[in-house]
Amino acid sequence: MWLSILGLLLGISLGLLTDMQIPPEYANYLSIAVLASLDTLFGGIRAHLQQVYDDKVFVSGFFFNIALAAGLAFLGVHLGVDLYLAAIFAFGVRLFQNIAVIRRIILAKWAEKKEVRETI
Amino acid sequence: MKKKVFTRFTAILFLIGLMTAIQYNTINEPDRRDTRDVWEVRQELSREKKLHSQLLSEIGTLDETLNKYNIAADESPEQALRETAGELRVAVGLAETTGPGFEVLVEPSMEAVALGLAIEGISPDLLIRLVNEINRYDALYVSIDGKRIINTTSIRDINGQTSVNAKPVETPPFSIKIISKSMDDAEKLYNHLLASRILDDFYIDNMSLAVSVPQSDMVIEAYDGIIDTKYLQAIEGE
Repeated sequence: MWLSILGLLLGISLGLLTDMQIPPEYANYLSIAVLASLDTLFGGIRAHLQQVYDDKVFVSGFFFNIALAAGLAFLGVHLGVDLYLAAIFAFGVRLFQNIAVIRRIILAKWAEKKEVRETI
Repeated sequence: MKKKVFTRFTAILFLIGLMTAIQYNTINEPDRRDTRDVWEVRQELSREKKLHSQLLSEIGTLDETLNKYNIAADESPEQALRETAGELRVAVGLAETTGPGFEVLVEPSMEAVALGLAIEGISPDLLIRLVNEINRYDALYVSIDGKRIINTTSIRDINGQTSVNAKPVETPPFSIKIISKSMDDAEKLYNHLLASRILDDFYIDNMSLAVSVPQSDMVIEAYDGIIDTKYLQAIEGE
């Protein structure tokens, strides 16, 4: 778990320290990519907690989601329709659902532990 | 198994962190730095100051007119209006104007005469350059070969002849009359024209400029055409 947080910090510091920038017109794509990876991450955590985690699903989901979202945004730009909103909406809804499920699982585990402790 | 899961999560979190940081960098791009040096800032300042003084003098003129109206309102409003109309006619170029100024005579150069070269008319480009040069030194009113320059004047080639206000300019010699704001300005313009590089440009075209000494009562003809105000509209409101 701590390793994961270390990875996050490493990524942020690397990005900030190298002062990397992308052209402003691609900022939309990057924000969607961030959202897609967050969605994949929380999906993965939920699957792990429910013991249905599959490595292939996780990795393929990550890349496929990002590619699909970026493709939708690209198509939207060329059609003049804000299609990236669809991706943001879908990811946003799923993100909240996943977080809600994770919360419930953690709460249930916590209550279980407490019960076990009380019976002892 | 568990270790593998966390390795994956770490990699994804690393990517998320990196992308978030890049996004942050992109969106929080610092404002463009002001890299002008002192000299450029001074020039900017002097430009603004010039504009300031110009605006102040305009306000002064308008205030004066307003005062005149106020004074004349009791006596004769018609007189005040007539005076304003007269001033506007002078400013636009519809009235004959007298003021401090001088005359520039465009002649064939001595070499051209001595060699017996055919004397050709002045080209529109050269004439436009000369008018720009004259206007650069604050000339108020200009007439070329008796054709008054107004705001809508065109200098161009019509059927092979250089024309001002759609009327052909004679082949040299012809005269250009200039009126400045004051005698000082007229002398400044006179000295500038005497030393100007435009003389060389005229010389290339086998012509020379004879600039006469400024005098206080130069007369410039009125614009003899009709000013078309088809596209002008009255401002609504006050």
